[in-house]
Amino acid sequence: MTSLDIKGLVVNRSGIPIVRGIDLSARGGEISVVLGSNGAGKTTTLEGISGIIPAAGEVLLDGENIAGANAGTRARRGLRHVEQGRTVFAEMTVEENLAVALHPSANLDEAYALFPELVQRRGVNAGMLSGGEQQMLVIARALVGRPKVVLIDEMSSGLAPVIVSRLMSAVRTLADDGMAVVLVEQFATLALAIGNRAYVLRRGEIVYDGGCQALVRDPARLHALYLGEAGQAA
Amino acid sequence: MNSLLASAVAGLSAGGAYAILGVCAVFTYRLVAVVNFTGAAIGAAGTFVMVTLYESGYPLAIGVPAGIAAGALVATWIGIVMTTWFAGASASTKAAVTAALLVGIIAVGLRLTGGQHPHSFPELVTGSAFRFAGVEVTRASLLTLAIAVVFTLVTEQFLARTRTGLQLRALSLRPMAAELIGIRVRLLALCVWAVVGAVTSFALMVIAPLRSPDFMSLSLLVVPALAAALIGAFTSFRAALIGGLMIGIIEGVASGLDTFSQYRGAIPFLVILAVLLWSQRGARWDEAR
Ligand SMILES: Nc1ncnc2c1ncn2[C@@H]1O[C@H](COP(=O)(O)OP(=O)(O)OP(=O)(O)O)[C@@H](O)[C@H]1O
Ligand SMILES: [Mg+2]
Repeated sequence: MTSLDIKGLVVNRSGIPIVRGIDLSARGGEISVVLGSNGAGKTTTLEGISGIIPAAGEVLLDGENIAGANAGTRARRGLRHVEQGRTVFAEMTVEENLAVALHPSANLDEAYALFPELVQRRGVNAGMLSGGEQQMLVIARALVGRPKVVLIDEMSSGLAPVIVSRLMSAVRTLADDGMAVVLVEQFATLALAIGNRAYVLRRGEIVYDGGCQALVRDPARLHALYLGEAGQAA
Repeated sequence: MNSLLASAVAGLSAGGAYAILGVCAVFTYRLVAVVNFTGAAIGAAGTFVMVTLYESGYPLAIGVPAGIAAGALVATWIGIVMTTWFAGASASTKAAVTAALLVGIIAVGLRLTGGQHPHSFPELVTGSAFRFAGVEVTRASLLTLAIAVVFTLVTEQFLARTRTGLQLRALSLRPMAAELIGIRVRLLALCVWAVVGAVTSFALMVIAPLRSPDFMSLSLLVVPALAAALIGAFTSFRAALIGGLMIGIIEGVASGLDTFSQYRGAIPFLVILAVLLWSQRGARWDEAR
């Protein structure tokens, strides 16, 4: 079964350590939810894992350390990073966006099965899609690459609640199909509802590592974890 | 009147070369996001490898492919420089780097090819193809024209229809997203450079005998090339194709008119100026809205 294990991840930006010694795991069939407020270091963590920015520490994919490889090689090993901000290829059609990412053993129907709403938009340039449709497209684009692990950054930002639930259930489907998902979210409730493990990140450090259910049952604790300084001051 | 037509037709072969170089400039900008000042210099390098081999007694059947390969290698080397150290740089930084490389390549090229001392350039294609309104149209100009048109159409079709073409478009739109879906970004970029090097080398080999064939003049053909690319706003292959031909023809006509002939070298510059002013007018209009 697929496994992603991050050990002692340290990521600097402009010489400043933004992420400091993170341990994090994801398993095939599970969703690891990473929570944290603005600027906590969630995006930086994912970028360190996928190789967009250099990082120290271990990135073990199925037990093999891929931390020395560049982003492209990590992608070809089965890691997909769905970046924050819906990075569609705007001047290519929906179908071309999917086709360009297609793994030889996958087919486009898998994408359309996950998001039937994309079928009627297949000939439209991706730049013309709504925010929700673009988010569906980038998730579907990751799916057709047959990844082992998918890292998804803040897919819900700026979208209507009904669309967000739609996306959440699609992500649950990915995990149920055997992928390991790392889901970064600022809005906790929906993510915890579909997640298995949970991590809370504050100022570049993990302050919670445990089950999602424990946090769902104890909102006050979640609140305190998010607002660390306020909690300590009190 | 007839002499004007003759000059226009004479400008066609240069126009074909400008068109090829212009389409290559659009190609480079669109696919690897570099405004490439070294385009013609790469071709000059390939051309001089061919000439050197020819002068030392090798047949053209060896010299031409070797020259094309050399052009592809030089271009790939520039591609390696650009992707290794300037992948994340801004468009203006990258353009400045290629301008600097141009100066370096010209210096090395002049040194190796014996300065302005002219070489004997073999004519790859000789003779006239047909007469048009009493004017002789050479095979060389027809060939450059054909290469320009074919390269434009093949490129368009390749980008629209093949998987690699799709990957190249993805790469040009969002390099990082392309890399994150596993596209071999660097390899593709280097292939783009190699193709540009091969095509420009061949184009310059064909027209070199018609120009003042020293390394510097050939390298500076990048000016009309960029003017042609600018006409297509660095995005349209067809506009660059037509733009290149137009510049060549206008140059030809100007050289046929006694008053203008001394200034014909300024024509690409005038075209660049006119296009920039025209596009600025658009920008100002947008601002005013
Ligand atoms: N280029 C940079 N140089 C220095 N600091 C940076 C740079 N980019 C981001 N940061 C800082 O790194 C910290 C973490 O940023 P990051 O984007 O990882 O947070 P995030 O948890 O993803 O936030 P959000 O929820 O807003 O997306 C922030 O404090 C930010 O100011
Ligand atoms: Mg973020």
